[in-house]
Amino acid sequence: MTRFLLLLGSIALFHPLTLAQDAATPPKNADNIYKSVVRIEVATQVADYRTPWNSGRFGGGTGSGFLIGPNRFLTNAHVVSDAHRILITKRGSAQKHPARVIHVAHDCDLAILEVEDSVPFEKLEYLELGGVPALESQVRVIGYPVGGDRISVTRGVVSRIDFRPYSHSRVDSHLVVQIDAAINPGNSGGPVLQDGKVVGVAFQGLRQADNTGYMIPTPVINRFLKDVGDGNYDKYVDLGITEFPLFNPAMRKALNVPENGLGVMIASVMPTGPCDGLMEPGDVLISIDGSPIDNAGNIEVQSEKVVLHEAVERKFAGDKVKLEFLRSGEKKDLTITLKAFPHSRIYAVRYGERPRFIFFAGLVFQPLDFNLYSAHQFKSPRVRKIFQNYVRDAIFKDREDVVVLTRVESDHLTSFITGFNGTVLDEINGTKVKNLQQAYDLLYAENHPEFITLKCNGIDRPIVIPSAEVEAANKRIMQTNGIFRSYNLGDSRPAAK
Amino acid sequence: MKRPFLSLLSCTLGFLATAPHSLAIDAKGLLRVNTTIQTYSISQPWELTPPKRRRGLGAVLESGKILTTAEMAANSTYIEFESADGTHTVPATVIAIDYETNLALLGPEEGANADWILKLGTLKTNGPVGIGDEVDIWQLEDNGDAVRTVGTVRSVDLLSTFASGHYFLSYEVKASMQSATSSYTLPITLNGNLLGILTSYNSKDQISDVVAPEIVKIFLDDVKDGNYEGFPSLGIATVLTEDSNFRKWLGLKDEQGGLYVSRVLPGSGADESGLKKGDVILTVDGHPIDRRGYYKDESYGRLFWSHLVRGSRKVGERLSLVILREGKEQTLKAVLRRPPPKLIPSHMYDKAPPFLIKGGLVFQELTRSYLEAFGKEWQSRAPLNLLDALNNPEDYEEGRDRLVFLSRVIRTPATIGYDRVANLIVTEANGQKVTDMNSLVTALKDPKDGLHSIRIDDIPYVLYLDPQLSDSVDKTLLERGLPSLQRLP
Repeated sequence: MTRFLLLLGSIALFHPLTLAQDAATPPKNADNIYKSVVRIEVATQVADYRTPWNSGRFGGGTGSGFLIGPNRFLTNAHVVSDAHRILITKRGSAQKHPARVIHVAHDCDLAILEVEDSVPFEKLEYLELGGVPALESQVRVIGYPVGGDRISVTRGVVSRIDFRPYSHSRVDSHLVVQIDAAINPGNSGGPVLQDGKVVGVAFQGLRQADNTGYMIPTPVINRFLKDVGDGNYDKYVDLGITEFPLFNPAMRKALNVPENGLGVMIASVMPTGPCDGLMEPGDVLISIDGSPIDNAGNIEVQSEKVVLHEAVERKFAGDKVKLEFLRSGEKKDLTITLKAFPHSRIYAVRYGERPRFIFFAGLVFQPLDFNLYSAHQFKSPRVRKIFQNYVRDAIFKDREDVVVLTRVESDHLTSFITGFNGTVLDEINGTKVKNLQQAYDLLYAENHPEFITLKCNGIDRPIVIPSAEVEAANKRIMQTNGIFRSYNLGDSRPAAK
Repeated sequence: MKRPFLSLLSCTLGFLATAPHSLAIDAKGLLRVNTTIQTYSISQPWELTPPKRRRGLGAVLESGKILTTAEMAANSTYIEFESADGTHTVPATVIAIDYETNLALLGPEEGANADWILKLGTLKTNGPVGIGDEVDIWQLEDNGDAVRTVGTVRSVDLLSTFASGHYFLSYEVKASMQSATSSYTLPITLNGNLLGILTSYNSKDQISDVVAPEIVKIFLDDVKDGNYEGFPSLGIATVLTEDSNFRKWLGLKDEQGGLYVSRVLPGSGADESGLKKGDVILTVDGHPIDRRGYYKDESYGRLFWSHLVRGSRKVGERLSLVILREGKEQTLKAVLRRPPPKLIPSHMYDKAPPFLIKGGLVFQELTRSYLEAFGKEWQSRAPLNLLDALNNPEDYEEGRDRLVFLSRVIRTPATIGYDRVANLIVTEANGQKVTDMNSLVTALKDPKDGLHSIRIDDIPYVLYLDPQLSDSVDKTLLERGLPSLQRLP
């Protein structure tokens, strides 16, 4: 990955700083602003998807945050992800105030925290949100980055405004503002200011380039704040389409697209997405909510070219979007209702979850998601293909969870079960596996035949386990291998045993 | 992995000064085989890669023909024989080549003066030897002297030494050999008779792999009638039955062995015999097969069962199998055949890969070699869709003889916007199903509604080309130095 998370920092102490100044002196209310920027110290516990029954790795880091309302601190999601203890310190104070996460949005890397005792923070100013800063205008980044203990301020100019990937979840792209001020580990979650107003939250940098910091601009922040207004974070919504640029004249001719520079081809429509059944591959999208779409798939927003997906960025589930498209040259109008699309989250990094798994007779089964995929580095082209095409081919319709056999623990019962590691479990006793809960129910069913047979994808012979030996094998292997629980099925059933 | 003998070649010069110490030994039937090998570029299949030279030894047989390895002759653009002292040379041709067993029979080019070859003396072929027997490995010094190294047959195993996935009987000979010229492959003799051909030498373990005399014999017998057929195959994939739970489930008794049949290739001898997936093979030609797939060979002890099929029989011969099906024993008779053609061939030795260029789109037929060119980690680095086709050809076989794919896009005026499209499987062209390269060529003669359309297996799913523009682009490509726009199988 080209981006890095700005989390780990050093311990900061709070003393007034003598600020380096350029032509402008710090704004009059600078000191009040500094006071509202806090240091966030986090103790984390990161799940280990290779040994899902274990506690995972304990660690920690620091970041920044700022007060935006009564006992409401805004910071990055990545600062507080996987946290089991959060402490907030005020500038110029040695006291660490326990805090908790109220809302976290991993898809746009933002979170809201509150402190348990808000009294010490009551006199502080709430920072006000501004607009999107203009290109070349100057901004200040405030926070507690590495390289010292006290509050740090850096200045820079806005060098680019773009639609870019957010590295925290790995799969989401939103508006970002690139600045040339140094953003370093620990800056994350701190405010970026212009004219005394917050114009962004510092959140990521670029490893292979100097002087490129990125901040989350206020349109993204405002959307997040609006989304959580009802007490719940409902996540971003998606059009559920993939487009292919119409640069090729023969392709435009084939699709009956007039030579006016407008229109992008729909290459695929996500099954069960908002456009499913309404649009089809080969349709040519020419406008979205009245904004014309060019051959590259861009629309113009405030005289800047952005990808057409930007048009639904500020929208919520249930909102409507007007689309205009050509099918075989014929113009069609369509209004779609946006909805969340949870299945695509299989490709997103997950945080703060205990890994789900089943232990059965020396075999460990886990549902496929990005965390599992990256932890086990699956080699089998079969698993990789199922993962890659999970959404495109609507595999989720038959398999809410793709259950993978991830480990075969050593035991005389399993000594010849070789070559099965990292394969997808297709069937248990002839029944197709749909999700982890159902797999658990099938494996631990009351009345088993003499042999339990497990069919794994792409393996020509079944795994055969004599039912009579399961209980003793479980006890024996769990004891020897330090596996102290036999399953975690997630929310529907508490982890036990 | 064992390395070919190449490593010794590279240090030849360093040994030159000390080499002539040994007394000259009168060696008969040895000559040098010098070959130039060129393969086709994977990414630009219209051109050959830079030539590589190999120098090995050949054994002169009584017929006057020369036996060497297939690896020496495969993809060769030029072969010549050279006498030990370098006084005579003659261009050579391939009479028969077997990539699976790694054997090749060569002869001097017709009409060329090759009388000197027979004057070198000839080698009779030898019968098998036992484990522990001593054999002679022959090398030639730069000055033409022969060097004999005595080695011991340490073990016998089925090895795949050239074309991947084909396992044949080989001797593993322990001997400490020196570096010498022309050592890419070497003849092995016993009592002055040819025993086998060395295919690789591992200088660390000092172990050489040698094609066994049984295999050499079948190869030479097959060549005799002028129509080389190759080694037979049963056409099945099997799984071992070591797992006791799996055995219980299959109903196998403890004293039984058994090989679980996991796949039967359509059109194979096994398929015709009625063998089915799920059967358990208990005996092959009366030899009981154990749970790890071994049988007891009279000469060599325990050998993997496939030797009974591939290394002991000829195409057209019958094999009897006792199988366990649904708890009952049954006897099947299978006629051995050459393996049926594959959707995705494992190699394309000595064949120029078919390709087609249309407007800058480059189409090829998929081979395993194409995927292997993605490097050592090709199993994880090669395109996933193509890997899947290689691993699960049965999912792609219907209506196809070969898997045609769009390997790359040359940036031309006709391919604007297609720059990033690569390695996608082609399903249809101009509404016609693409079953092999020829069918694609035919389909692209007939554009529909003034456009070519090519359907592929991933985004953007269809590519369009303007026929006039792509034809003129093709003409430009020829002017730019492409030798041709297509090569058909």
